[in-house]
Amino acid sequence: MLKLEHIYKWVKSGGRRIFLLNDLSLNVEKGEFLSIMGPSGSGKSTLLNVIAMLDEFNEGEYYFEEEAIHELKPKKQTEIFNQNIGFIFQAYHLLDDLTVYENIETPLLYKKVKSSERKALVADILDRFNIVGKKDLFPHQLSGGQQQLVGIARALIIKPKLILADEPTGNLNSKQSDEIMQLFKELNAEGVTIIQATHSESNAEYGSRIINLVDGSVKKS
Amino acid sequence: MFKNFIKISWRKIKSDKTFSFINILGLSIGLTITLLLFMFVMKEKSFDTMYANKDRIYRVIFHTTDQRNNEIWATVPAALKPEAQMEIPDIEKSSRLWDHDFGKTASIEANNEQFSEPKLYYTDPEFFQIFQLNFVYGSSNKQLERPNTVVLSKSTAKKFFGETNPIGQTLSIDNKRKMEVTGVYEDFPSNSSLDGNVIASFRSIGFYKEPSWSNASFETYFLLNKNADVGSVTQKMQDLVDNNVPKEDQWYSLALQPLEKMHLYSSEIKSAYSSKIGSIEEVRNFSLLALLILLIACINYMNLATARSQKSMKDVGINKTLGASNRVLILRFFTETGFVTLIAILLAFIFTVLAIPVFEGVVGTSLSLNFLWSFQFIVAILGIWVITTLIAGSFPALHLSRFSPIEVMQSGKTRESFSANLRKGLVIAQFSASVILIISTIVIYNQLEFMRNKNLGYNPDNTIAVSIAAINSDSERETLINQFESLPEVSAASMAQGYPGISVSGRSLFKNINSDDAISLQTNRAQGGITEVLHLKLLAGKDLPKNKQSEDSIVDVLLNKKAVDFLGISPQEVIGKNIIANLGPNAYVVGVVDDFNFSSLRSPIGAYAFNNGFEPLRYMLIRFESNDLPATLEKFKDKFKDVVPTSAFDYTFLDKNVEQMYALEQRTAKVSLIFAGLAIFVACLGLFGLAAFMAEQRTKEIGVRKVLGASVSGITKLLSKDFVKLVLIALVIAFPVAYWIAENWLQEFAYRIEVNWQIFVFAGIIAVFIAFITVSFQAIKAAVSNPINSLRKE
Repeated sequence: MLKLEHIYKWVKSGGRRIFLLNDLSLNVEKGEFLSIMGPSGSGKSTLLNVIAMLDEFNEGEYYFEEEAIHELKPKKQTEIFNQNIGFIFQAYHLLDDLTVYENIETPLLYKKVKSSERKALVADILDRFNIVGKKDLFPHQLSGGQQQLVGIARALIIKPKLILADEPTGNLNSKQSDEIMQLFKELNAEGVTIIQATHSESNAEYGSRIINLVDGSVKKS
Repeated sequence: MFKNFIKISWRKIKSDKTFSFINILGLSIGLTITLLLFMFVMKEKSFDTMYANKDRIYRVIFHTTDQRNNEIWATVPAALKPEAQMEIPDIEKSSRLWDHDFGKTASIEANNEQFSEPKLYYTDPEFFQIFQLNFVYGSSNKQLERPNTVVLSKSTAKKFFGETNPIGQTLSIDNKRKMEVTGVYEDFPSNSSLDGNVIASFRSIGFYKEPSWSNASFETYFLLNKNADVGSVTQKMQDLVDNNVPKEDQWYSLALQPLEKMHLYSSEIKSAYSSKIGSIEEVRNFSLLALLILLIACINYMNLATARSQKSMKDVGINKTLGASNRVLILRFFTETGFVTLIAILLAFIFTVLAIPVFEGVVGTSLSLNFLWSFQFIVAILGIWVITTLIAGSFPALHLSRFSPIEVMQSGKTRESFSANLRKGLVIAQFSASVILIISTIVIYNQLEFMRNKNLGYNPDNTIAVSIAAINSDSERETLINQFESLPEVSAASMAQGYPGISVSGRSLFKNINSDDAISLQTNRAQGGITEVLHLKLLAGKDLPKNKQSEDSIVDVLLNKKAVDFLGISPQEVIGKNIIANLGPNAYVVGVVDDFNFSSLRSPIGAYAFNNGFEPLRYMLIRFESNDLPATLEKFKDKFKDVVPTSAFDYTFLDKNVEQMYALEQRTAKVSLIFAGLAIFVACLGLFGLAAFMAEQRTKEIGVRKVLGASVSGITKLLSKDFVKLVLIALVIAFPVAYWIAENWLQEFAYRIEVNWQIFVFAGIIAVFIAFITVSFQAIKAAVSNPINSLRKE
């Protein structure tokens, strides 16, 4: 599905380069559920952002479904991202001024999906996540776990091929956390490729493969 | 999607009520002022546009030569009209206008009642064809062709004769002339420069039979042919002057002023009849002021938008990861701003309707409510809406939407510096504008106060001028003045052709009999006692004599110092000298008075001469002491009615008349005071919102500092310091600009205040004080809050 080859990313600080990603190579197959583990500052979030094409890298090659991303213009990158990738944040990042329903609907609006189709898609996903009763609530009226459910629903609404989740359960208790992981597992079984970054050993275990990041490179195990 | 944007906008407004309130109130106040000033400007610009022939109507204006101070007059010699009509084929129609008795109020008897009428004109029959007035009774055709006929405006006809058709009724004017009413015309609209209430036939007056080329006292209007060339008509008028006036007597030239320029471009023109003279300067200043205040309001909006930008940036980031393009986000921010400004403009519309009566009082003109529904106004409102939205929304739309999601979500704070700097810049701009307005207002007020308190060289207080134009015999006048003098309240009385503050006769004073060197000299026929009534200071010689035989050809003259200085001799030497000033061959100086401001303080003092020559005495000037003004006036009226029962008792306070000379300045002062106040209020609203936001943003910092032992006053100081610093920078920017504006404005006055440092210090203290109060309110609130509450949030 995607292939990263010898990726370097650095920032300059006081005349020295600090490497965030250091000669990182990674191959993710379609249908995989990859867990990326590593201590704080090991480059997990940076790696996810690079995969999402939200962040640039300095050297290396990146292929997404045979497309050479490093050769594309930002606009084209954004287009590929919007078509294929759903992003789930640790801090949920729901839009405060919108209801649950509207939050989920927003990506469809940007894709200019027709009104009737939008209604059907949002209704389906609300149903599936068991949050029909909460559709008119605002984010601040929900618990953390519920907010993250909405965040996942919003990421899934465009039927992405790849889901990127950056510490999706970082702000949740273990029960909520298990539920979310269970959900990821089901999604993965339905064929969605998932890459999650996590601190938690037990969450990582849900993945079909685990890699460890240390100082911006994959630790050989 | 658009519907969605509007929904979000509405929720945003609701979710932060204080914020939205400040935002919308600030904007709508700014817009209200803009709309009011716009209405005023439109009204001023609409003057004289109601006449169908407006593009072809011209007023003849009169330029005096260098020796006569290069003045411009609106009045020209009576002989021009008949000659020009005959000799210049491009003139289709022409008409003169003469203000009754050179601008004096007429006493009119109608239906056995007495009325004072300040707006009585005499005109030629063509007047009604040129301006195409609508007649209620009678017709515009062949009107005023007979001598001693008169037409009335509709409201005047109602005042004189009630609802009945007044045609055939008779008016008596100043007890001298009987006039037959032959028509009633619709009142001149309030935006017409022409303003006659009673218009009589020009053929009734002596100037009709013997028009001269020297007495320039008649407004003259031409209706030119469709393809007439203004330049060639002007040239031909000059040819007429050359043919009729000997070269050495040509102290003037003639020109044409288009009707459309008459209202706004005539403030330099003297002796114009209209009481409604606008000023293009004022229109420009008000337009500028409107723009400035709108800008302050927009800045407010931007300011508050930047304050919220951190949250907006997060939103931008999330939306981008959800697939929003820049274009969509720009559109969204403009929609949000447009929605807020729409609410503000609707509110402003309501405020405008409510404020119109107050505003009318301030500017002293009526503004029609119908104007609010005119096409022009609707277009203007839409225009203002779009412009405000574009300006106010430019920051969030263009700045915030550009950020990439990663930048926004991960490092929201690092890019904040742009917003912070912009916000500082905007606060500075806003306060600079406010300080400029404060200083301008103080300067205008000081100048007004200065003019009010300046020693004019005479004393206009406790003095009235009673109109005696309707009295025709010397003996009646003598009886009346004796009656007045017999009252205990009266300390001095005299009679004169005019009084300081109104125009008298314009003549020239020549250096000597063989010299062409002359200056213009205002001459005022008066009687003995004039120095006593006006409290003039005699420098040499004595007052005019009390009595003079009517067959006496000697004219006694009381010169002012300026005139004596021109002659180049001392006041003592000039006594007894014969002067050359068109006052007859036997004009001798009997006294010299010190200079006094007989016209507005805008112009320097010119040469002036009281004399007992031949002009009619129109006013009785009375100086009195009174503890009960109404009772005293009643006594005066009784005395007046005893002597002239058939005439209206019409009087003017000299000091009121002086004040009226500064009506324009007073208006400017009032308008700037109100608007400066509102501008500062709006600026403070913005500052208040900003301070609230900053305090909120620094809650954690404040909490930590308090835990570490900072005092309330220390934290208040910490939070207020930054804002006060900005206001100080604003002062530095505002001072030179304000100084320049003030100097520019004061240049119009021959007698003026100096712009001193105290004004700046005062304005500075006001601005800093207001800013400090506004900010510290929020700062104290933040400082006294319990730190545990603020820290628990994290």
